[in-house]
Amino acid sequence: MGPNGEAEVGSDGPRQKGRATPDTITIGCIAQVTKDGQPRRAEILSIKETKSGRQFYCNFDNFNKRLDEWVPVSRIDFDQDVEWPNPDKDKQKDAKSKKSTTVSKKSQPSKKAQKKVGKREQSVASEGQTPHPWTEFVESQNKVDGEDKANASLEVGGTPGLGPDEMELDEDETPASAAKKEHTQSFSREQEIEKLRTSGSMTQNPAEISRIRNISKVEFGRYVLFPWYFSPYPEVFSQEDCIYICEFCLSYYGDLKSFTRHRMKCTLQHPPGNEIYRDDFVSFYEIDGRRQRTWCRNLCLLSKMFLDHKTLYYDVDPFLFYVMTTRDDRGSHLIGYFSKEKESADGYNVACILTLPQYQRKGYGRLLIQFSYELSKIEGKLSSPEKPLSDLGLLSYRQYWSELILDLLLGYSEREEKCTIETIATRLAMTTQDVEHTLQALKMQVYHKGEHKIVIPEKLMHQREKSRAKQKRVIDPDRIQWKPPVFTAASRTWGW
Amino acid sequence: MATRKVRYKKLSVKTLLSVLREDQIDPTEYESLTNEAQIATGVEQAEENEYHLQAVLQSAGVAADKEIPVPPPQESTLNYDELYSRRFSKTSTYIRFSQTVEECIGCMYDMTEDDEAFLKSYNQKRAASAQLSEDDFEKIMDVFEDTSYIKAPFASIDQTIVPYQDMLQGLQDLDNAKVMPHAKDIYEYWKSRRQALNNQPLHPTLKFEKHQDSDEADPYVCFRRREVRQTRKTRARDVQSAEKLKRLRKELEEGRQLVLAAHQRELLKAEMLKADRAIFELRAQLKEHKIRLGIKTDDEDLINQKVSSPLFIFCHTQFDTDTSQPQKRKAPEAPAVQRPPPPTQLRIAARSDGRPTEADLSLLADRLAEKENELRADIEKKVQSHNEWNRNHLDLTRGPLSPVHEPRQDVSFRPAKTQYLMTPPTSASGASLEEPTPMELDKPQNPQPVFKFRGVARDEESRENPPAYRRRIGRLNRLWIDRRGMASPPREVSAEVLDRWKYDQSSDDEDDPPLYEVDPFDTNALRFRASIPLPLWMTNRAAVPNARAPLPPPQQPPQPQQPQQPVSQPQPQPQLPPPAQAAAAAAAG
Ligand SMILES: [Zn+2]
Repeated sequence: MGPNGEAEVGSDGPRQKGRATPDTITIGCIAQVTKDGQPRRAEILSIKETKSGRQFYCNFDNFNKRLDEWVPVSRIDFDQDVEWPNPDKDKQKDAKSKKSTTVSKKSQPSKKAQKKVGKREQSVASEGQTPHPWTEFVESQNKVDGEDKANASLEVGGTPGLGPDEMELDEDETPASAAKKEHTQSFSREQEIEKLRTSGSMTQNPAEISRIRNISKVEFGRYVLFPWYFSPYPEVFSQEDCIYICEFCLSYYGDLKSFTRHRMKCTLQHPPGNEIYRDDFVSFYEIDGRRQRTWCRNLCLLSKMFLDHKTLYYDVDPFLFYVMTTRDDRGSHLIGYFSKEKESADGYNVACILTLPQYQRKGYGRLLIQFSYELSKIEGKLSSPEKPLSDLGLLSYRQYWSELILDLLLGYSEREEKCTIETIATRLAMTTQDVEHTLQALKMQVYHKGEHKIVIPEKLMHQREKSRAKQKRVIDPDRIQWKPPVFTAASRTWGW
Repeated sequence: MATRKVRYKKLSVKTLLSVLREDQIDPTEYESLTNEAQIATGVEQAEENEYHLQAVLQSAGVAADKEIPVPPPQESTLNYDELYSRRFSKTSTYIRFSQTVEECIGCMYDMTEDDEAFLKSYNQKRAASAQLSEDDFEKIMDVFEDTSYIKAPFASIDQTIVPYQDMLQGLQDLDNAKVMPHAKDIYEYWKSRRQALNNQPLHPTLKFEKHQDSDEADPYVCFRRREVRQTRKTRARDVQSAEKLKRLRKELEEGRQLVLAAHQRELLKAEMLKADRAIFELRAQLKEHKIRLGIKTDDEDLINQKVSSPLFIFCHTQFDTDTSQPQKRKAPEAPAVQRPPPPTQLRIAARSDGRPTEADLSLLADRLAEKENELRADIEKKVQSHNEWNRNHLDLTRGPLSPVHEPRQDVSFRPAKTQYLMTPPTSASGASLEEPTPMELDKPQNPQPVFKFRGVARDEESRENPPAYRRRIGRLNRLWIDRRGMASPPREVSAEVLDRWKYDQSSDDEDDPPLYEVDPFDTNALRFRASIPLPLWMTNRAAVPNARAPLPPPQQPPQPQQPQQPVSQPQPQPQLPPPAQAAAAAAAG
């Protein structure tokens, strides 16, 4: 999956093929790499040296980026040809994938020259120093833990195999290709920024996203989280084995002592806003991005580690954050949240939505989605989440939509009443488009004897029975204490 | 949707759809007709083909048995209870909270492991009493960092290190005795740390935009201001805010003036009290002199209201502050009335008390009468100006605001003197046939009451109000002839019935003579007819035939316009075709 929207890695035309060795394989090469015991095409996005040997950051064919990982040489099949980066056709692509690396040079003009390379490689090198619990290479990666940090910059400088990715590329470029690259790059970026600015969007073109995870491990409350994607925490954090995040104010620390000191002083025990919903199980808080700028920024940084298409390009001011928590004797613990534009020109009721990994697959996402629609009902609007959805987001939404529409239709079917797509949409505060898509996805829309009809398949009814038995909790709309907030120009400026 | 076969009817969101269970429909047909179109997922196009996502989507079920694999979280090995030791007390009501993170953290500097090592060695050289606590260390460091941020915001670029002298001001706010002995040493440590970190802030910070070219491409630069969006609205918002501030200022100024005025009023009152007291004292002296000199004249001029007057004023002063307007208005009046020397009658205290009250009352009555006269005059004037304004207009709404029947309002209406007018009935009826239908359709279709009562009522009405006409020019220079006091058919006649009558008339004119022999306005005849039970088709027609007799009844004026206009009130008739206009104009005289 490159940045150009192709379905597979490096699918932008034919590439030169040939044998490679661990020393000659470069960034941008596509090779067969073992993943979950199976060979799979993978693009090499970065290379680093560790004590246990060279490691390669791989992005696998048709696998989500969250499954990218550092692999040792042994997992790459050098008996098969690798696809070399296409010097012409890959210019644009390479330019983009190189961006994070070249940029770090430019953006740190004050740093000394020898530090630059070390710094960049280190930022890459840190990833994977801490094992991901589910990789097969926990041990090998554990070995380098600790010493690796100190060694990284030294080894980087001294290893011949490392240089090429960046240095050579810069030298390779003919003026023409460089200009071409510059042009395409700046054009798309301008377009994209324009899009971001005008739409108030929180999502972003993959071209803008740094493709390599920069934080490997996060201490958060009672849990250790393993980030999925890049998040623009302070750049030095990429050198840390682990970062520490206060689970109440979401402040971030690279240093355990600092974090401990912070915990002694921090008095926050719930999200800093008004509670607008409470039942025996969860609470919802409404947080204004403008009023609680620091907290909301912290929340965005945290969630970016688990949301690929979220962008932190612009500030949080124009958003409200609806934060779901669970209570115990230590406070209201963050489960998940969704953000919502204060004024959405496109009628979105959700900009970003996330259940933290430690709470996933427990039905919390459904509560978040339901809550977003309950707010839309209070506003009297038909709404939809902002696109693109993540894969997990799509599944959660599909399931929510399916179940609610199915329940509604079963009622109509029993009463032998007819219904329209519009009535379904109105009852559920969904857009008619989402209703139609759901009906189609469930294969419920049929054309029969000259009429459009809705058919409820037996299979769905059985599945619904099962899921209803499993499903424990829903939001009780009567417990919501909320009025749609009104933001005048003055209130945005002065907080009046 | 896109790939539906063309012959399918278009499905709109408003199309009523039957909802069936699978077993209620032929499975083969159901299978064959299922829409196989690719459904938009809303997922990034490049990700739609993801292996795990497709695996789940293929199952296309409500409950996903397959799951998308994600790196699983783990339990933390840190001591949670130690780190998060603060107990959380539950509230019975929903929490309301607006403090920011900064307000909840306290000292913003958190010492690092390096700081801890330094502080340990630093304290080792000192007696226990002279040691620096971690809290104080952080406070000092916070001042240094803070001052540096303010005084040298570009420290990391220009390598400025803020000198110790500049830090002193910030240190003043701390607990001097505890902090100052250490401040200089900690400053040297702070300086060394800053230098080691390239003069960057000691705490890792996010990268914000520096408005350099490198910002755009740097994935670490985040939370940019949305400049364009803001500047676009700035002007309007500034104006709005300025307006608000102006209004606020004006209101405050008004309040200030009010307080000043009240102050002035109280001063005047105090002066008045002083004057009253002076009068009293002078009178007391006079009385003494009188007694001493044995003058036995009436004491009326001494009495005055000096007993009641100050009291009176005092009362009113109190009222002023806390009661409503009527009393306020009286307050200045009362003393003014009492001031002029009243008739002199010393003995009867009650009388002297009563008298000013009487005078006051009578005056009030006068004033009230005057007020009322004024009001009446005003109302009269308003009525007149309203009439003036309403001239040439008629209020035909169901409940007119101004009565339309007042004679002086209808100067333009003239009674029609039918006998002098030579209106050719043929042309009139000809014109009338032109325009009937649209107006009729507008009529309310009430259920028909028994016709005899209507007939009687109309009879009497027509006698009271002889028919009158008015000619006026309406919008677009159209000529209107308003009619009133006409004996016309009842409103309730339905268009349907009228239509039916139209044809009856043309065909049955000669065949049905009895209808025309009856004077429709003869009360007796009506009563008689009403008493006869008629077949349904006749009752449906009701009084219509009579009213629409082509020959006008004797007491009825010629009707140049269509006789089926069911108006009992004047109603404008647009005169569009020129011939009709001429005829109408002639009729109006
Ligand atoms: Zn905190």
